[in-house]
Amino acid sequence: MKPFNQNQSPTAMNSEAPTENLETIAQAQDHFIQSIKDATNNPDDLIIQSFPPNITLIYIDNLVDDQTLNNNIIADLQNKPNDTPEILMAALSIPEVTVTSLLIKAIEGIINGSVLLHIEGYPQVVIANIASRESRALSTPENESQVIGTQVAFNESLSTNISLIRRYIVSPDLCNEKIKIGRRTNTAVTLLYMNGLASDQMVNTVRQRLASLDLDALIDSAVLAEMIDDNSLSVFPQMLLTERPDRFCDGLLDGKIGVIVDGSSMAIICPQSFTEFFQSQEDQNLRWQIATFVRLLRLAAFFLSVYLTPFYVAALTFHYEVIPQAFLVPLSESRALVPFPPIFEALLLEIIIELLREASARLPTKIGQTIGIVGGIVIGTAAVQAGITSNILLIIIALSALASFTSPSYMMGNVIRLIRFPIIILAGFWGFYGIMLAVCFILVHLLRQSSLGAPYMSPFYPPRLKEMRDSIIRMPIPLTAKRPALTRSKDDYKFDPEPIKPKKS
Amino acid sequence: MNKLKYFYSPLLALVLLYGCVETNILDKVGLTTLVGYDVGTEKKIAATVVIREVNPEFQSNVEVLTTENDTSKGNRIEANHQLSKKVVVGQMRVVLFGEELAKEGLRYFIDTNLENASVSNGIYMAVVEDRVAPLLEYEYENIEDIGQHIFRLIEQNIEQEYMISSTLHEVARDYYSVGKDVAMPIIKRDKELVKLSGVALFKDGKMVSRLPATDSFYVKIVRDTFKAGLYETILHHEDLPSALQKITTDDMTVAFDAIHSKRKVTLVNAANPEFDLNVKIKARILETYPDINQGDPKSVAALEKAIQNKLAKELEKVIAQSQKVESDIFGFGEIYRGSVRHAQLTKEKWHEMYKDMKVNIHVDFVVLRNGVFE
Amino acid sequence: MKNPLQLNPKDMVNTYLLFFVMHSAQIGVGVQGFQRIVFQDAKHDAWISVLLAGIATHIVTFFMIKTLEIYGANDLYGIQQDIFGKLIGNVLNILYIFYCFMSFFSILRNYIEVIQAWIFPSISAWFLAITLLIIIIYAFTGGLRVIVGVSFFSVVLSLWIIPMLAFPLKFSSINSLLPVLETDFRSILKGAKSMTFTIIGFEILMVIYPFLNDKKHVQKYAHLSLLATTAIYVAVMAVSITYYSNEEIVKTVWATLTLFSFISFPFIERFEFMAVCFWMLIILPNLCLYLWAAYRGAIRLVNIGHTKFVWLFAFFIFLGTLFVQTRIQINAINNQFANIAFYAIFVYPIVLWIIAALKKKITTKKEQKNEQA
Repeated sequence: MKPFNQNQSPTAMNSEAPTENLETIAQAQDHFIQSIKDATNNPDDLIIQSFPPNITLIYIDNLVDDQTLNNNIIADLQNKPNDTPEILMAALSIPEVTVTSLLIKAIEGIINGSVLLHIEGYPQVVIANIASRESRALSTPENESQVIGTQVAFNESLSTNISLIRRYIVSPDLCNEKIKIGRRTNTAVTLLYMNGLASDQMVNTVRQRLASLDLDALIDSAVLAEMIDDNSLSVFPQMLLTERPDRFCDGLLDGKIGVIVDGSSMAIICPQSFTEFFQSQEDQNLRWQIATFVRLLRLAAFFLSVYLTPFYVAALTFHYEVIPQAFLVPLSESRALVPFPPIFEALLLEIIIELLREASARLPTKIGQTIGIVGGIVIGTAAVQAGITSNILLIIIALSALASFTSPSYMMGNVIRLIRFPIIILAGFWGFYGIMLAVCFILVHLLRQSSLGAPYMSPFYPPRLKEMRDSIIRMPIPLTAKRPALTRSKDDYKFDPEPIKPKKS
Repeated sequence: MNKLKYFYSPLLALVLLYGCVETNILDKVGLTTLVGYDVGTEKKIAATVVIREVNPEFQSNVEVLTTENDTSKGNRIEANHQLSKKVVVGQMRVVLFGEELAKEGLRYFIDTNLENASVSNGIYMAVVEDRVAPLLEYEYENIEDIGQHIFRLIEQNIEQEYMISSTLHEVARDYYSVGKDVAMPIIKRDKELVKLSGVALFKDGKMVSRLPATDSFYVKIVRDTFKAGLYETILHHEDLPSALQKITTDDMTVAFDAIHSKRKVTLVNAANPEFDLNVKIKARILETYPDINQGDPKSVAALEKAIQNKLAKELEKVIAQSQKVESDIFGFGEIYRGSVRHAQLTKEKWHEMYKDMKVNIHVDFVVLRNGVFE
Repeated sequence: MKNPLQLNPKDMVNTYLLFFVMHSAQIGVGVQGFQRIVFQDAKHDAWISVLLAGIATHIVTFFMIKTLEIYGANDLYGIQQDIFGKLIGNVLNILYIFYCFMSFFSILRNYIEVIQAWIFPSISAWFLAITLLIIIIYAFTGGLRVIVGVSFFSVVLSLWIIPMLAFPLKFSSINSLLPVLETDFRSILKGAKSMTFTIIGFEILMVIYPFLNDKKHVQKYAHLSLLATTAIYVAVMAVSITYYSNEEIVKTVWATLTLFSFISFPFIERFEFMAVCFWMLIILPNLCLYLWAAYRGAIRLVNIGHTKFVWLFAFFIFLGTLFVQTRIQINAINNQFANIAFYAIFVYPIVLWIIAALKKKITTKKEQKNEQA
């Protein structure tokens, strides 16, 4: 099993060809057909058509575009028999045609959706790429929807995605490198970056990380993102997954590096700082005052979501002194029936909310709505009436659940969901002291993280005042000319930082 | 490094199991909202506590308990013995003292409350006419929670500047200050209500005299800056300037709303303490009886003059009374200490000097405006 | 000059971050209750003592930087080895490591005492020590960049506490500060000396200096941070003097925390309970920096890995918390430590500068003679 692994191991597609497997293509038709059948395990959808006198056409049925095959290849062949591969190549009226004499190349071509044309007596074969991958039509982004902005999302087709990007960035500087990952799946992964903006060192790092992956299979980009993260053990993601081509392109233009995986509708952008996870592409499209407000709102939501329930638990378990008098009576009266200590009560309710969320994510959309009813009315009201939770806690939990949805990145939303639990437990054991322990631990943890070697807490640490203009606030566009230093871009400024004022005419 | 990370988790779990702390779960504690102290038998302290308890019937009931013991903590233990919930003091809002106890001295109670970290420095302190226990134990018709009620009563009056402020911090500050004495509101039961009935004057933490509640206005304007508050006074006919005497043959009632007052005390003579007290009040006239023409500058000036004289007279009276009992609740001593270098002032020394202190009072009263209808 | 440090450019820190490092190293547990100690001697002129202590830090820092500039890129440990020779230098280095250890310990123990006194009377000291040590170890193993980051966030995230000083102003009277300079100058100086425990921390400069990438601006940022610290201390002191009355301030153990006692917001009643816990973030850089300074010294003496060192260090600190239990013991340690620190921080650096400057003169003269000869 070793040799196969080594041969197919993640090497760039067009770089050094595998040197060991130099088996050439047989001149005889029968031998050639047999060798192809052997190599592909003779699948039932392998079609072999002979065109007398000397041409054989081999392809896999489900991978090629039937229309092109009929109109552009079969039609051409019938007119021109008896040619050499070179003439045949010139004769075919399709764009991607190559000639090879290596069997391995031929196999690679056929499983990628090419048609092999073999001419009796020649040790070469013509590979005509007429692949047609099944893919859905472009649709609106569902996970990262926004009101103002483009309404198109990536889909599962690599070529569609790249064409989307090329439409946003019409520039020869857009670099595109293809890498195959996965010994068994041979998934095409594309590395995209802007030449002249992206730092060479970072591009090398990503290239290196992708190349050194020795994976069996790569199905989705989320897996890849986790594998090439600086610290895969951390709960915080260090690379952004997005389905929005505009966000992706905006990243590239900031000097970031993008990775797209074939068959996955989420693209990876790196390096990414912690604060950027709380920015939405829509912020760029709104007026700066509104964008700033929304960003601050999200930040507040983050803190609210993470610390509100622990605060409740700590105050009710240990620090009754801090409860304002106005809350004292309603709080203690609503707690009076509850038989559990606050920590248990809070954990119970948090878990119920998580159950509801998980259930509504798994259920078919049609009955998903019922979950809302079950959650809202049945569990919420009944739990309070049955006296297992207090209604004030119910409000707090609902509020923090709501706040956790405001994170524009689903990945970060999940983090918020999770880190609440240990903090609630700490608060339930040691009150404010426990909460503060968690705050310090999270702070140190975040400081220790890096994204492609760049500081994760940028632009706050190391502090860069100019970039803070576009962080948790967003200053007017003329003031945010600087590219984030996080990307170590070769070109520091997006435009002339002088304020642009339209002349009055 | 990775090995270390795995090492963390069992360590944390271990710590988690050991480090449990005593809890004070809100619905499992009885919250003391008010404590009243009286003189008990045989040098003991009698404490009356108002405790708010919550029971599962969604009702909070208020318990009033009286216990007698040697220390205030001993009283807490005793109260604990009588209740189903742990008694805690972190939500205490008011401390009351019986008159007899106040006359014996409050030092112990100030110290014990300052020492306890869970007692806020913002709690109010007041003296009760006669004993505390009957005031708290009386079943009022309309007052459900007597602790809450007294707190609101005092808080509201202090916020509206009707009464001098007497938080634990201020009491302790004045108590430990060499040039100032403690003053507290006095409350009493009046049929079905509780009311503020005066201001208690202290000397060295011992109550020595009292002023009627109406005089708290004068205490306030000399003690600190007075921002807003209604005041009503009667101008006697013989004191009125001639301009006003023409209008009426009777006494004149004036009510005003002091928008802003400023006091300035300067020491003019250090050897035999003599102070200049300048009080500047800007006010809004709300009511005069009989009516005077407030559009007329002359009569307004006359009115201002009349009020000035009246206020000066009243201030003089209040200060004289405090001098008589050697209780410097206005803080003249602090001014003295701040103005005289190396005064080496002590409490005794100052009280001695205070008795013979002279104060020249100048009141400057300005009518800013009256209502919207002249 | 011997023993220059070979540093990776990746470990270098921007010079302006020195502001946060020094500032956060100075402000710690001391500020919670320094008023009574200073007030004992200086009475209502205590704020002048604080000011004087602040000026003293400026002078000492000036000489520290002068000493460091003579050596270019070297830290205190290297300088001591160079000036006093290997043997005496190493003894001094061990003493300095011990000083860092003591400093770390007294900060930790004082904070634990505050937690025990204000919030959890029944919690055991060793438990608090373990939880804090875990976080410190986690920060320390992240390297200098993480420690400096902790300093930075500690300062920035605590800024909101400063406006809280405005609340007590409602109850304060400016008259308490009068008459100015009534106390005799000796008592004021004595008060300034009792500021030692509160104001030290800036000596971290002697260790972090080689790691700063722009040595030219060190003076500027170092003095700025001292200025900020002094300003905060003077403000806290002035507010405390005007807020409390004379005898009261001497009796209040943690006057700054008591200052916050009656601050209340619509959503939280007793602010100081939060402040006490929040102080963890303020002492965190203190502890990390002392630990790091001790580590820098230790690797000069023995070849020790940083994880091994930190576990050893933490173990001894932990042992210490088991032995020191009562308030009286803690106060005794504080006083002893403050005494040592006064000589180590305010006297020794100036002596060191004189020796280093003399030595430099002699060596350059020798070199000149050699050249002429």
